[in-house]
Order: sequence, then structure tokens, then C-alpha cells
Amino acid sequence: MAVKDQDTRWRRVLSDSIGYGTIGLTLLMLVFFLVIPVGVIMSKAFINNGKFTLEFFPLLFQNELYVSSIWNSLYIGLATTLCATALSLPLALINAKFEFPGKGLLSGLLLVPMVMPPFVGAIGVQRFFARRGSVNMALMDFGIIDQPIDWLGPENMVWAVIILEVLHLYPIMYLNLTAALANIDPSVEEMATTLGVPKWRQYLDIVWPLARPGYFAGAIIVFIWALTDLGTPLLVGYHETIPVQIFNMITDINENPVGYSLVFFVIVITVAFFLISKLALNQNQYEMMAKGHVTSSRKNVRGWGLLPIYGLVIATVIVALIPHFAVLVTSFSDKWFMTILPDNYTWNHYLQVFQSELPMNGIKNSFLFAGLSTLLDLVLGLLIAYVIVRKLVPFTSLLDSLVMVPLALPGIVLAFGYVVTYSDTFLDPLNNPVPLLVIAYAIRRLPYMVRSAVAGLQQTSRSLEEASTVFGASRFLTLRKVTVPLVAANLIAGALLCFSYAMLDVSDSLILAMKERFYPLTKVIYVLFLEQGQGEFLASSLGMIGMLILAGCIIGASLILGKKMGELFRS
Amino acid sequence: MEVKFQNVVKRYGDFTAVKGLDLTIKDGALHFLLGPSGCGKTTTLRMLAGLEQVSSGSILFDGRDVTKLPAADRGIGMVFQNYALWPHMTVYKNIEYGLKLKKLGADEIKRRIDEVLHFTQLTQFVDRLPGQLSGGQQQRVALARALAIRPNVLLLDEPLSNLDAKLRMEMRDNILRIHKQTKITTVYVTHDQKEALSMGTSISVMHAGRLIQTGSPRILYNHPKTPFIAGFIGEANFFPGKLKAMGGEGKPYIVETAVGEMHSLEATGDFQVGDEVIVAIRPEAVQIGWSGKLETDNPIALSLEHLTYLGESEQFQLRASDGTSVKANFYHTPEHDFKEGDTVHCGFPAADLLTLKPQPELGPGT
Repeated sequence: MAVKDQDTRWRRVLSDSIGYGTIGLTLLMLVFFLVIPVGVIMSKAFINNGKFTLEFFPLLFQNELYVSSIWNSLYIGLATTLCATALSLPLALINAKFEFPGKGLLSGLLLVPMVMPPFVGAIGVQRFFARRGSVNMALMDFGIIDQPIDWLGPENMVWAVIILEVLHLYPIMYLNLTAALANIDPSVEEMATTLGVPKWRQYLDIVWPLARPGYFAGAIIVFIWALTDLGTPLLVGYHETIPVQIFNMITDINENPVGYSLVFFVIVITVAFFLISKLALNQNQYEMMAKGHVTSSRKNVRGWGLLPIYGLVIATVIVALIPHFAVLVTSFSDKWFMTILPDNYTWNHYLQVFQSELPMNGIKNSFLFAGLSTLLDLVLGLLIAYVIVRKLVPFTSLLDSLVMVPLALPGIVLAFGYVVTYSDTFLDPLNNPVPLLVIAYAIRRLPYMVRSAVAGLQQTSRSLEEASTVFGASRFLTLRKVTVPLVAANLIAGALLCFSYAMLDVSDSLILAMKERFYPLTKVIYVLFLEQGQGEFLASSLGMIGMLILAGCIIGASLILGKKMGELFRS
Repeated sequence: MEVKFQNVVKRYGDFTAVKGLDLTIKDGALHFLLGPSGCGKTTTLRMLAGLEQVSSGSILFDGRDVTKLPAADRGIGMVFQNYALWPHMTVYKNIEYGLKLKKLGADEIKRRIDEVLHFTQLTQFVDRLPGQLSGGQQQRVALARALAIRPNVLLLDEPLSNLDAKLRMEMRDNILRIHKQTKITTVYVTHDQKEALSMGTSISVMHAGRLIQTGSPRILYNHPKTPFIAGFIGEANFFPGKLKAMGGEGKPYIVETAVGEMHSLEATGDFQVGDEVIVAIRPEAVQIGWSGKLETDNPIALSLEHLTYLGESEQFQLRASDGTSVKANFYHTPEHDFKEGDTVHCGFPAADLLTLKPQPELGPGT
């Protein structure tokens, strides 16, 4: 009896130490691959020959190219946020206030644009809007214009980038706004109605203040993602932006330390906007009172009233899918020149993709890197979520904020940080970028996994675990045998998201994968696109393949997660 | 303000929530709408507030048709079940918001807010946000906000259901006091019959979208119109049967039931000999022969299934020969040695036995 007691106790100690050891390792990972790289950039921006200096910043701000890049990027971020708001606000209001046939399907269609990184869309859009592209050809055929319009000329490029970003990012805003509006108890508006408050004032004085935190949570993500997206401006050819400048500076970073100050500047912008939004909102986090019963405030719409609703939603979906459609057409087109649509269609580009080494390697690499990073996310995400929800350590809220940082930390900053921190070490991406790529993918998608697992754990009663511990099971045996199966759905959904976003990651892939052998899918698309001749078509077919993979993953995730999808995109 | 419902109907698609409501609520009354959940009482209140459209029929305020009037122009104050306080506004702002829109002068606004704060004893909480208040305080803010606009009609939708038992008692007194002082016509919706009985002087009982009976607590308890009300307000034992002879002027109604003939002196409704009826008796009206036989109306032998001793009273759970379960409550019981399984001789006084119309679609209350 005594021996057995000692035996189980010993096993419990062992198992607990494995558990806490894993948590320790998790924290080390975050320190080495999140805190230190960012710290290195910051220090290098201020240190020259071992001395503190501020000399790089005047250099940065005296350079016209950098200054205009900064302005352009801020402009892109701001315009994207405003346009995405204008686009998604009516859609979210429709979702929150009306009930109509086909609502589920249409709401789902609105999220489709998320399945494609905008830089792939850029390929298709260039085909459609080129000087001799489909749009100009169509307009000239109908006699509306005589001369082709230079849609993508230098002065319009910035808007091409903004539109592509908006069409890609508005679903994030839409999800956040919908969730925020749905959280408002309908009776607070009804109360105002009984007092004679006009509808517009209700929106201004009651709905908006209550929905504001949710709105800003989405807006800040849209702003930062648009500001720091590398792929789209690169492929559109709009190089005077911060991300492209940073990308160009990586190769000669040792000769040109101004790069550090530019990256530092990006960090400052990001942090500043986050802090402003957090500070502005923390004072206004209102807990909703208990929800009223019976009545749903959603109005049933039938008949003619459906027309504007369907019109708006369907028009949005169609416009948002134009880039996808353009990529699709391009990928199947044979000899497409000076006509609205291609004269002939062909499977050849797809065949070629599957037969050539570079694209196939890219697909294989992406599956491998994304798969490994997802595994890493699963382990880290579950453990971190467990520590946060069960409050195993005293500083859980700090841990919580730390793991959410990558959601806002621009990919270029992280990738840049890895290059400068780990060059000339055994992790040098010039030799073998695989470890750093996998880690970069994993760290940047960790927030999805953690949020997903946290949501699951919060719904799982602690007493289920306690019941298991009462029987003498150690904490981590319990985690394995009881908790994980209970939150499996959340873990799978989170993993699918991590995987799909890793598959189509742009900035880490472009920066870190330095050897052709290790190119992931996205870098192959970029390289092919730059090639003359067939490149564009091959890039489109490869883009379509990537889209299909991503679409499958996201549909799977949303089927598993249902309505909680929106919670994954909050900061 | 007198409130009048004239044949008011509310339909949601195929479902009819309120089926032809006729009701007059007197000026200055505190009127209760009582019924189980889903009976249409909240829908009725929301139509009165103007938050729901009336499908057919009309609502009159002092004879004026307000059926099509928007909520804003009806001059009502409403307290929602969950209070619907604006979480981002302080107590003061919550009350002030509605007043400001009424374009009152600053002095008048200040005066009214002070008045309702004083009324609801909230003066020291003016600068708090709703989230920083207890449930009872939130409830009072909701009440103060509704009162501040000096409504024609005050509507209370289950105002106490989110409070614990002790606070509920306190708030009952509060609401009664405020009503007495303001004399505002008040409509109070609740599913809690004790709340309605203890506070109300006029109560309308609703069930399955219909108004079944309106009256004082005494009338509803002693002279329920239907088996549902007999069962919903207090407890009752029911015996279905057939009417053998009509009563009236001292003559009893005679009902043939599965456990024998029953004589009842009171009936509600128009009957004919041969009708299906239900006779009902309150548990406390049942008589018992403590030492064997008993000289009484409607004698019946029942077997004792279970006995609960509560100090001031004893509850007998009995069963008739046909399996009907009978409840009986006794106060001041003499010493006795009844055990479970014993046969007990009981009687139902004819004066306490009610003959009611069965409503198979509604069933007895719970």
C-alpha cells in the first residue's frame, strides 16, 4: 500500500515537472523568438560601434524615399481602415438587425475574400486593369473610351494597393462589428425608443459607445495589416512603402544601418496605435448587463425589403471576388492579348506546375513548414491556454498579452529581427532557413491557437478536471486524458487556421527563405511572377492551388467553430 | 390615465401570442398581468408600450386611440426585466438622457432628477456606472429613469425577477410606496403569483394568449373561473365528472365522478345537465375524521401515501380509490397516529367545492 502510494506520488511529481518544464520551454521560445529579435532591432537602431547614438534617425528622415514611403504606408493603412469600415458597417448592421432567407449562406460568402492573400489577387488585377487589359478592352469595345486608361499608372497604384487590401481585410472588420453589435442587449435601444429618442440618436449615443471597443479591436488589426503588408505593394509595383523598403534593405543591412531605424519606426507606430486604442478603450469597457429574454430584436424581412439587402451583400461579394476571378481566368488562359477574355483556355499551366521542380518543391515545402509550425502551435497554444485559463502562474495576464503580440507585430518586423539576430549562428537562414521559417510561422499564428484553445477551456468546467484529480491523476495526465478531448474541436479549428495562414504567409517566406531549394509556395509565386513569358500564368495557377487549400481549411475551421469565428480576429 | 384594450390580437406569423384581449385598467391603478411564461403578458405590455405592433384591435388612453402612435409619443415609462440601463452612462446620465430630449429647461431637469433620486434613495450613487451597482440599486435606477419623465403609464416587466428573495420583499414595498405617492397608472407583469397576490388589488390572469379572469386576489382565490386559475393561484384538487343535476338557490350541483357523487354549492359558467365538468377543492378545505368516521358532505375514504409535518401545519398526500391524488393541509392538528398506508375518512364541504368548466386545451394550472 505504502509502496504504491509513493509510486503514484513519484509519478505525479515527474508528470508535473514535465508539465511545468514545458511551460518553461514555451516561455523560453517566446523570449528567444519574439522578445529578443525585437529587442535586437531596437538596440541596433540606437547603437553604433558600441555607443548609444541617435544619428540614424535624422538619416532616416532626411531621405526623401523613406519619408515618402512612411507617408504612403500610413496613407494605405488609414485609407484601408476607413474604406473597410464603410464597406463592412452596413453589412454588419444588416446582419445584426435583420433576419432573412439565405442569411447564413450570404454571411459565409462575405468571408470568402479572406481565403486569398491580396498579393495573389494583385496578379489577376493587373491582367484585368493593365493598359491593354480586359477592362480597357471592354470599355473600348463598347465605345465608352477611345484611349486606354492607365488604371495602374504610378498615380493610381496606391489605390490599387488600398482596394486590394480592403477587399481582403474587410471580413475581419465585418466579423468584429457583427460580434460587437450582436452583444448589445436589444432592450437598451428599446428603452431609448420608449423615451422618444430618435433612431439616429440611439445609434450615436447608445449603440456606438457600446460597439466601439469591438470596432477598434478590428480596426487596429486592419490598419496594421494593411500598413505592413509586403506582398501586395511588391506585386503591384508600388515600391515606395515601408514594407518594400525594409525588404530591399535586408540584403545590405550591414552596410546600411538606417534599416534598423525604419523597422524601429514601424514598431513604434504599431505599439503607439495599440496603446492609444487600448487606453482609449480600457476606460470604456462596459460589462453588458444580463441579457433580456424572449424577444429578438431582429426584424424578419420578406418581399421587396429583401432587394436592397440582397443587392448590397451580393454586390459586395461580387466585387470582392473580382481579383479571385481574375486569377482564375488568368490561370486557365492560353494566349491572352488585347482581348477582353482569353481566346483559348487550357489546362497546360496547371500541368506545367505539377511537372516542374520549382513549383512542386514550393508546394511540398509549404506543406512541410506549415505542418511543422502547426504542430508547434498546437503544443504551445494548448499549454499556454491551459496556464492562462487555469491561472497556474501568477502573471497570466502578462503571458496573455505577450502571446497576443504577434497578431499585431508585423511579419516583416519579426522576419527582419530573425535575420539580424540569428545571422552567423547555427540558425542562419542563409544556410538552412527551415527552423526559423517554421518558428516564424508558428509564432505569428500562435494567437489564433491560444484564443481558440482558451475559448474551449473556458467552456469546459473545471470540475471535470477536478473529478479526475480527485482520483489521483496528476494535473498533466488529466490535461491529456480529460481536457484535450473536451476541447478537441477548438484545437482542430485553431490548427486549421494556423495551417492555412502559414501556407500563404508572405513576409516571412519572402525574407527568410533565401535559397531556392527552400522556397515555400508564396515565394515561388513571387519569383514566377517576376519571370517573363509564362511566369504570370504559372503564378496564377499556383495561386489558385494555394487558394483552394486555404479555402478548404477555413471552411473546415468555420464549420467546427461556428459563430465563434469572429473571436479569433480580435486583438 | 385610463388604459383600455379592445379586442387586441398579436400574431407572429402562424403563431398567435395574444388572442383578443379586452381589458380596462382604471386611472391610477396598480394592475397586475399574471401568468406563466409564454402566456402573452409581456407581449401585451410591449404592445402597450408601442414596442410591438398590434395585429388587430385597438388600445385607448383615456378614450384616445393610441394603437398607431409610436412609442415615443405615448408618454410611457418602462422598467425592463433586465433593467436595460445604459452601461456607459452614470446613474445621473441614465436619468438625464431621456429628459434632455424632452427639451426641458436645465432647472427643471435638475429638479426632476433630484426628485426621483430622492424617491428611489439613490442620491449618493449619482456618479456610479451601472456596473458598479448592486442588483437592487440597478433596479431602482431603472425605476427612477422611468419615473423622471413623469409618464402617463408606468410599465414594469418582471421588475423583481432578477433579485434575491430578501431584496424582492424590500422592492415590493418600495414600488407600492412609490405608486401610492405618484398615483401613476401602473401595469405590472409577473409570473410570480405570490408577488401579484401580496401587492395587487386588481389582477388579470393570462394563459395561452387569453385573458382568463380579472379580479382581486380574494376573488381569484375563492372564485376562480377555470381549473387553470384554481391550480395556478394556490393549489387545488380536481375531480373530472359529469353534471347530474343543476344547482341554484340552496340546491347543490350534483356531479358524478369516478370516486362517487359530489355535491357542490358553487359553479362558474353556464351548464346543462350531462355536461363534462371538473369539481375542485382547496387542500385546506378538505376535512378529516381524526378518530374514525366523520359526519360531513361528500364523505370519501382515502389512503394516506405520505405525511409531511411542518410544525404549524401538516400536509397529507392522499390517494382516492381510482388513483386520483388528493392533497390536504391541516392547521392545529390534534394528536393522531396516522401512518402511511392507513385509510383516512375525509369529507369535502359542499360550500367549498367548486364546479368548473373543463378547458382541455389549457389543462389545470401548475
